[in-house]
Amino acid sequence: MIFFQYLVNGLILGGLYACIATGFSLVWGVLSIINILHGSFIVLGAYIGIFSYTMLGIHPFVSVITAGIVLGALGYVVQLGIINRVVAQSVLVTLILTFGLELMMNNAMLVAFTADYRKVILEKSLGVLEIGNVFIAMDRAVATVIAFVLIFLLWLLMRLTSIGRAIVAVRFDREAASLMGIDVKKTYAITFALGGAMAGAAGSLMSVSFPISPLSGPLFLSKAFVICILGGVGSVPGAALGGLIFGMLESFGAVFFGAEYALTLAFIVLIILLLVRPHGLLGVKGF
Amino acid sequence: MTKPLLNVTNLTSGYGDIQVLWGIDFDIAEGEAVCLVGSNGAGKSTLLRTLSGLLPARTGEIQFRGESIANDTPKHILSAGIVHVPEGRRLFGPMSVIDNLLTGAYLRSDKAAIRQDLEQMMELFPILAERRHQAAGTLSGGEQQMCAIARGIMSRPKLLMIDELSLGLAPKVVDSLGEALRRIQQQGLSMLLVEQDVVTAFELTTRGIVLDSGRVKIIGPTSELSENPMVQQAYMGLM
Ligand SMILES: Nc1ncnc2c1ncn2[C@@H]1O[C@H](COP(=O)(O)OP(=O)(O)OP(=O)(O)O)[C@@H](O)[C@H]1O
Ligand SMILES: [Mg+2]
Repeated sequence: MIFFQYLVNGLILGGLYACIATGFSLVWGVLSIINILHGSFIVLGAYIGIFSYTMLGIHPFVSVITAGIVLGALGYVVQLGIINRVVAQSVLVTLILTFGLELMMNNAMLVAFTADYRKVILEKSLGVLEIGNVFIAMDRAVATVIAFVLIFLLWLLMRLTSIGRAIVAVRFDREAASLMGIDVKKTYAITFALGGAMAGAAGSLMSVSFPISPLSGPLFLSKAFVICILGGVGSVPGAALGGLIFGMLESFGAVFFGAEYALTLAFIVLIILLLVRPHGLLGVKGF
Repeated sequence: MTKPLLNVTNLTSGYGDIQVLWGIDFDIAEGEAVCLVGSNGAGKSTLLRTLSGLLPARTGEIQFRGESIANDTPKHILSAGIVHVPEGRRLFGPMSVIDNLLTGAYLRSDKAAIRQDLEQMMELFPILAERRHQAAGTLSGGEQQMCAIARGIMSRPKLLMIDELSLGLAPKVVDSLGEALRRIQQQGLSMLLVEQDVVTAFELTTRGIVLDSGRVKIIGPTSELSENPMVQQAYMGLM
């Protein structure tokens, strides 16, 4: 049945979307920063996936690790060196700062990579699995599984480690956290690094499925934005759930209204949700 | 005389253009429990905030175990052994009781001992054991204060500073908190207690500091302070 095909498509999209949104959501929740730079981090992660494959023959699923580390390190440096200077100020100030950084990054990538769309064309594709009448592109499916594993690892980190507790503590009471001996600025930088790492990893995963150009950033960003609010700002499981819902909306929305209306549809759902549940589906939780 | 645990000399502090503390001098001996009383706005919280490094000391000296800690970071001061349980509890609301306590042990890495201390806190405050997985923000006021104190002790401090111990709590709850504090004190922990209710403060401590408009007005044994007509009139609602 065609319904199951759309369901599978939605699931596969949803996993990737969840992955692009978790880092964004964490940074927003903990640092109260709407990180416009997040889209560029994803794109940069995708380029790491693409060039590692074309130049070194490394599979993008392996490059998830390099992309995560590189973007995590970049996030750490950007937060510690630049954003920490204004982090205590209003959302507008940090928004403008990350917006400016995004513009610079965008132009740098245009110069470095040109505006061409690129995508990884795998030589040895995992092919398509056919179950009944449902077709599953296996490369995409594996990417989705990896995405959920990464989200689960992030959730474990937040839940079980002392870094995770420090992040949540800083989120809810900066001053009380510093009374526990937590270095607030360093914790901010670690949070931003985690956001960057998730973005980079997501980018590398997506390089197998989506053509990417330096200007793809804003599109990813707007999706991450909707997903994050859908699930509840700052919530890792919320972003996962929001991502899945978004994937479904895009998959089924494309059937009923046409692919070009997918984002519009998502925003309509978002507006309705905000009227009913202003704190998102999972509300304000620790992480 | 033995060397004091904490020695504060000529300390001044404040916020921006506003100076709040004007030349504070006092000390606390090892194992001693001292209370800090004074009317609203006298500067009690400001003094604790300066001691714990949340506020810079403008002039003066703070010595803890013989070392200067004035203007050190809160992290450094905590690892030196001073913990500050802030006014209003300031728990991490959405985190469980256990996670709040573990956050109190953030600077420690001795996992086994941390587990042990957790159990000890559950023994000291049995109600916390029942509520260990509950979000701290949903605890009652008394339970929150217990959780905040336990969270502070999880850092294994030498000096425990509590701001507004009894504020908003029923007398029975205050009694049981006081009982717990006595037990902790018997294990050698020193205490600096900020308390609005002077009667409670004098019961729990042996020496008192009366702060007035950012200056030390009187300092002495609580047994003497409670007989002092000025203290009785101004702070104990007597006469
Ligand atoms: N963040 C701040 N900025 C400016 N002034 C402040 C600030 N916090 C406190 N003050 C001022 O410092 C003075 C002392 O305040 P502090 O909180 O230390 O008093 P307190 O003795 O703890 O009072 P209370 O018993 O009401 O808690 C007050 O005049 C207060 O207005
Ligand atoms: Mg106060």
